[in-house]
Amino acid sequence: MLEFKGLTKQFRDNVAVKPATLTIPDGQMVGIIGRSGAGKSTLLRMINRLNEPSGGQMLFDGRDITALKGRDLRQWRNECAMVFQQFNLVGRLDVLTNVMSGRLFHHGFVTSMAGMFSAKERAFAIRALDRLGMAHTALQQTDTLSGGQMQRVAIARALVQEPRIMLADEPIASLDPLNAKVVMDALRAINQEDGLTVICNLHTLDTARQYCDRVIGMQDGVIVFDGTAKELTDKAAREIYGAEAEEAFSEAMTSTSLRPGDKPAAEAPRVVN
Amino acid sequence: MADMSQTPGGQDPVALFERHRAQLIRDRMTANLLLLALFIGFLAWSIWIADFMPDRLASGVPRIFEYFGSVMPSFDTDVLFDGRNAEGKFPPGSIGFWYNDFWKYITLIWETILMALTATLLGTGLAVVLSFLAARNTTPAGWVGTIARRFLEFCRGVPEILFALVLVFWVGIGPLAGVLAITIHAAGALGKLFSEVVENASMRPVDGMKAVGGSWFEQMRYGILPQVLPNFTSYALWRFEINVRASAVVGFVGAGGIGTELSHTISFYSDDRVTAVLLLVVLLVTAIDLLSERARHSLIGKEALK
Amino acid sequence: MSTLNFAAISQADIDAARKRHPKAFGDPLVTTLKAASWAFVVVYLAWSLGFFEIGKLLNNADRAVQLLSRMVVWQDMATWQYANIYKGIAQTIAMAFVGTMLGTLFALGLAFLAARNTMPVGVIRHAVRRLLDVFRGIDQIVWGLVFVRAVGLGPLAGVLAIWISDMGNLAKLYSEAIENIDRKQVEGVRATGADTGRIIRYGYLPQILPVFISLSLYSFESSTRSATILGLVGAGGIGMIIIERFRAGLFDQVAFVVLNVLVVIAIIDWGSGLIRKRFIGERGH
Ligand SMILES: Nc1ncnc2c1ncn2[C@@H]1O[C@H](COP(=O)(O)OP(=O)(O)OP(=O)(O)O)[C@@H](O)[C@H]1O
Ligand SMILES: [Mg+2]
Repeated sequence: MLEFKGLTKQFRDNVAVKPATLTIPDGQMVGIIGRSGAGKSTLLRMINRLNEPSGGQMLFDGRDITALKGRDLRQWRNECAMVFQQFNLVGRLDVLTNVMSGRLFHHGFVTSMAGMFSAKERAFAIRALDRLGMAHTALQQTDTLSGGQMQRVAIARALVQEPRIMLADEPIASLDPLNAKVVMDALRAINQEDGLTVICNLHTLDTARQYCDRVIGMQDGVIVFDGTAKELTDKAAREIYGAEAEEAFSEAMTSTSLRPGDKPAAEAPRVVN
Repeated sequence: MADMSQTPGGQDPVALFERHRAQLIRDRMTANLLLLALFIGFLAWSIWIADFMPDRLASGVPRIFEYFGSVMPSFDTDVLFDGRNAEGKFPPGSIGFWYNDFWKYITLIWETILMALTATLLGTGLAVVLSFLAARNTTPAGWVGTIARRFLEFCRGVPEILFALVLVFWVGIGPLAGVLAITIHAAGALGKLFSEVVENASMRPVDGMKAVGGSWFEQMRYGILPQVLPNFTSYALWRFEINVRASAVVGFVGAGGIGTELSHTISFYSDDRVTAVLLLVVLLVTAIDLLSERARHSLIGKEALK
Repeated sequence: MSTLNFAAISQADIDAARKRHPKAFGDPLVTTLKAASWAFVVVYLAWSLGFFEIGKLLNNADRAVQLLSRMVVWQDMATWQYANIYKGIAQTIAMAFVGTMLGTLFALGLAFLAARNTMPVGVIRHAVRRLLDVFRGIDQIVWGLVFVRAVGLGPLAGVLAIWISDMGNLAKLYSEAIENIDRKQVEGVRATGADTGRIIRYGYLPQILPVFISLSLYSFESSTRSATILGLVGAGGIGMIIIERFRAGLFDQVAFVVLNVLVVIAIIDWGSGLIRKRFIGERGH
């Protein structure tokens, strides 16, 4: 169980996240929506402390996350994996090494610097890739993959961390609808099959409605909506998006047009980059 | 319909433009004349301070030709390729006579290359670590970065041979002083270049490695190093060329390599031995330049194919 | 899909994965080669440091302490003969400037003889290029010593050394700039019926002049750096003062002089950066 107690973040004179109090039980799939600059990324990145909170407290199963330092902090980051909008993979390394890097926390200094991974880790990484239908690319250089493929590799890297929580910061914002669907399906599957808590920033309404158990709406750093997907009516959404509502809606309509139940294509079409 | 050739002020635009242009040219001319005067003044001052005076030149220049005449080898076509004679000596006028100390030179050149190689390896290693500390985007703390940058500036600001001078006092005459001196200077020069490369690298993979729970070392090793490695390699190769040149001269202050022999020969003899050593040094430097250029090009070629 | 559990991965799972993706478990040849090359580097370093007797570094630690402490603690600062120091620095800059100007002048001529598009006769071109290799292949300080032997101690030898090595460097770089010239612009001028002089004035010069000025400026910067050490062999400038005072064990004064030189060089770099901006715009070449 993840608890926020008055968590805030301030950049100089700009308060990005105003005191947020929130409880997220284990195994929930949470979507955070809100317009650009609302503070979604900041909130998410405070959870694994890529952004340092400026006030308040965060507890995970009663453990104070905000106070962690050094190795404890890195262990916490290892426990809550993160998937990024731009994938944040190491483009010049092969896919397998990128995935195995998810296990670096368990390495000693020498083996990690020398890039030595055990056969067990390799088998595990291949299994994670396989789960996302990417095992055949294991030896490819990562920057030769398409965006959708990279995001799936990034999810595989997150999975080999054996995390308790999965954070995803707009995981589908740079993907085409088909790839977006593949990625969202994967996240949902992880949530349902592994029982992982998934907290996901989304910029499209219908994705949040389709995939999430619970939706949190942010506006100017304040949580203005917190409820189930059903409760997220168009009226509620309009309030979250404020003046930009129309834009957000038209965007929402054109995004993930496939329904969660549909069978994904065996291999998403390669995006020419 | 308004007359298109008239500006609102009622002036002819062509005349206006011409006036403006003339003004600009005048301004430029004055600035350039001023700079020219400064330049000539500085040149005159320099000539005076550097004592580059006609009388000095008049007495000096003939001596240059005299000197170069005396250090040129003189060949005798009859005995050019002759071996040692009965007394075990080469006949004057043969190549053997010119290169009587050939094997001594070769040994020293070998030592020179080893010095450069060791210094390049050590210097590159140091530079890699220091550049990650110095680069603004990867430095673990602001003050560490400042200290690392100042340190690098110092290392590359002081010439190798000055470090060598000091180190010879410390560790004594011999190649160790040279190796260390070149290592320090190379670390400074490469560290600066490397840190610029690091500052241009994408930070996304670093964020990725951070989120995985990686330590600072792991963030650098996996997030940055793969991005910058090709650049690092080509800079290091290029530095090897420079280090070969450097290790050929640190011997001037007793820090090993062919330089000691070179300075000794030039200082104490004015015969064909001078050109013998000099020629070998030129050959060494040119050969290393060529080799490393080849290596760099094939490296870049490989990168471009990807 | 099944959930993932690292601890539950058995040997059988590994074997199965290895069977399906044999290459993912590391090509033994590549692994060995990598390990071998690292081992080679390490062994070489260990061997070479032994060969260079790295132990001396520790044996003479007392000397290092003496040296460093003398460098940091500055004594009798009133007796340091500052006039001499600053005269030496001024002389260094002057030597570098005269040497670079001379080098530039001669390089202008040699460059056209060494460039493929302006010197069609291969023999001459190659002869000039080899000559330039000799000028560049011999380090400036070596030239310094040679000229000290030829014309005696003093700044004249230093100027000559800078002149000859700058001439070699600049002529090579200039000739590359000439070879990289855009033919179309020259053709354009020729098409107007211009004579040779005008072709050079309007076709070649506008293209190469900024590059030349920029290269000469860089050359001046690097010559001031290298001129500081020419004095070590007696070729004038601040180096003579450095080595004199070092030999006399006045390490604090040496430290002071070196600091001053670093500051002066930084100022020159900054100044030439300004000039480069004024004449050539932000990017020189
Ligand atoms: N590193 C930073 N320094 C200063 N201000 C920042 C920084 N990061 C974010 N901010 C500010 O904090 C606020 C919230 O930004 P955040 O990135 O969390 O928004 P977001 O909801 O993720 O928007 P988007 O949908 O565009 O990603 C914005 O006003 C932003 O300008
Ligand atoms: Mg965001």
